[in-house]
Amino acid sequence: MKGMQGLGVLLGVLALSPALAAETAVAEATDPLWMVGLKAFLVIFGLLTAFAYMTLVERRLLARIQIRQGPNRVGPTGLLQPLADAIKSIFKEDLVVAKADRVVFVLAPMISVTFAVLTFGLIPFGPKDAFFGYDPWVIDLDVGLLYVFAVSEIAIYGIFLAGWASNSKYSLLGSLRSSASMISYELALGISLLAPVLLVGSLNLRQIVEWQHQNGWLILYMLPAFAIFLLTSMAEAARTPFDLPEAEQELVGGYNTEYSSIKWALFQMAEYIHLITASALIPTLFLGGWRMPGFMEQIPVIGGIFSLPYLWMFVKIAFFLFFFIWVRGTLFRLRYDQLMVFSWGRLFPLALVWFLLSAGVVAFGLPLSLLAWLSLASLVGFLVYAAVTARPDPKAPSRLGNRGGVRV
Amino acid sequence: MIGFWEALALLLLVGSALAVVRLQNAVHAALALIANFLVVAGVYVALEARFVAMIQVIVYAGAIVVLFLFVIMLLSAASANVGPDLLPRLPWVAALGALGLASLLTFAALQFSPPASPGSLAGGLPQALGPLLYDPERWLFALLAVGFLLLVATVAAVVLVEPERILAATTHPAHPQRAGQPEPPLSERKEGRAVVK
Repeated sequence: MKGMQGLGVLLGVLALSPALAAETAVAEATDPLWMVGLKAFLVIFGLLTAFAYMTLVERRLLARIQIRQGPNRVGPTGLLQPLADAIKSIFKEDLVVAKADRVVFVLAPMISVTFAVLTFGLIPFGPKDAFFGYDPWVIDLDVGLLYVFAVSEIAIYGIFLAGWASNSKYSLLGSLRSSASMISYELALGISLLAPVLLVGSLNLRQIVEWQHQNGWLILYMLPAFAIFLLTSMAEAARTPFDLPEAEQELVGGYNTEYSSIKWALFQMAEYIHLITASALIPTLFLGGWRMPGFMEQIPVIGGIFSLPYLWMFVKIAFFLFFFIWVRGTLFRLRYDQLMVFSWGRLFPLALVWFLLSAGVVAFGLPLSLLAWLSLASLVGFLVYAAVTARPDPKAPSRLGNRGGVRV
Repeated sequence: MIGFWEALALLLLVGSALAVVRLQNAVHAALALIANFLVVAGVYVALEARFVAMIQVIVYAGAIVVLFLFVIMLLSAASANVGPDLLPRLPWVAALGALGLASLLTFAALQFSPPASPGSLAGGLPQALGPLLYDPERWLFALLAVGFLLLVATVAAVVLVEPERILAATTHPAHPQRAGQPEPPLSERKEGRAVVK
């Protein structure tokens, strides 16, 4: 029973790590401890509610895109559907496969959800003291962006261990795919964020928002970085067109094939919470965060009315959530080799080149407008490239092919 | 002298490290390794080295263990339990190494004196760490050397994995007819390796 002892230690550590995060947070927080706790509770409660209704919104929107009705029977226009789904998930039979590794099997969904909810508290929703006299964020870390990376990387283990512990080939294939794509896209994701961080000179999300208030939204200077970050965060959240880990047609359900009942629901929860977090992170980093567009502040009346702290953040989050659903309803899934070539062959070099360009601009003290022109040039270049390569040759061989590599 | 948190960190560190070594199942051992790295990150946070703590989680607990697990699952997913001890004399060598390390650490602990101005660390933030790391009078050359070492290791790994492709592009006694010939483009290659005519 040595395995049990070791896993007991692991459980202890997993229970401890949020406490460690909290300790870091408290070191920087100006709010009293009970308030930080209350806000953390509110964020988690809000995320869970948002998750429940995101499932409904997504199903209705997808139905609309596909000219169907979608779930509209439970409650007025289907508004009680999430409640019905929750009741159903909880009361279904909770199966554990006979040959599964029981401890890891149970642990995996918990890891997924725990580390999914840990990130959202960093997002600033307004100026200091905007939350009834307290700060509208849970924790304010100087290494905020690195913390986001760290937590989201640990969250991968949930998916990964689920596939292994299930002791089933579909699950294992799903989790192998997910780990391979995560490793590939993590690289481009990290490097795409180096450029804005270098420009702003801080990893603190609040300071990044403030910089954008002073100098204009980062998307203007960092268009390629924004595009790469958008694509890679879609891949990290395993959304269509990057949802290889759970390709229903090939893998039944991917890593969660053997899961049922509330454990399956926990995986869904983690996935949607990642999506919501990404939708909050993208505007915070590139689209001015909780502040309204700069030019609107100049307009006398409207500027005053619409400068509410929470409004713009919610508008931006809603836009990106809609965008992700829209993409899922529009695009088809990539083939596995396409996925890999796209990451290693396109996104990664592009992120690297853009990072070097912006590092040069920062290092030599060149004007910011140069970056804006470079962004514009890259947009034009992309459009030209897209127009030229709009019709791929159907007979062209696969770029990855069967070149002796392991097909996953 | 040793408070509650120190004792807890010590217990978890040693416990998870032992679990890494003693667990029979490779995936369980990798999990214990993640646990160990997370506790180390926690210790870094407690020591006000926040940047190092986050890098510890991202690089070690994140990227490296994912690679470990990937390899474990790819190679021996069905039989993650290891068989008999492949290196029977390893414990003795390890004990010798541990003894040396322990004496070194004891020496270091006895010699240790707290830094004159802990304020200059500024909470271990990257803004404070960067100028130190890239200072030519301090660690710049060590950093460059490490970077170069990693580059060499990467190239070596590529050579080890795909010797045929490298050989195809260079002269080799075993393939004299291919000397100086350019590598065929990807689309003209047949299944597997470079085409051998």
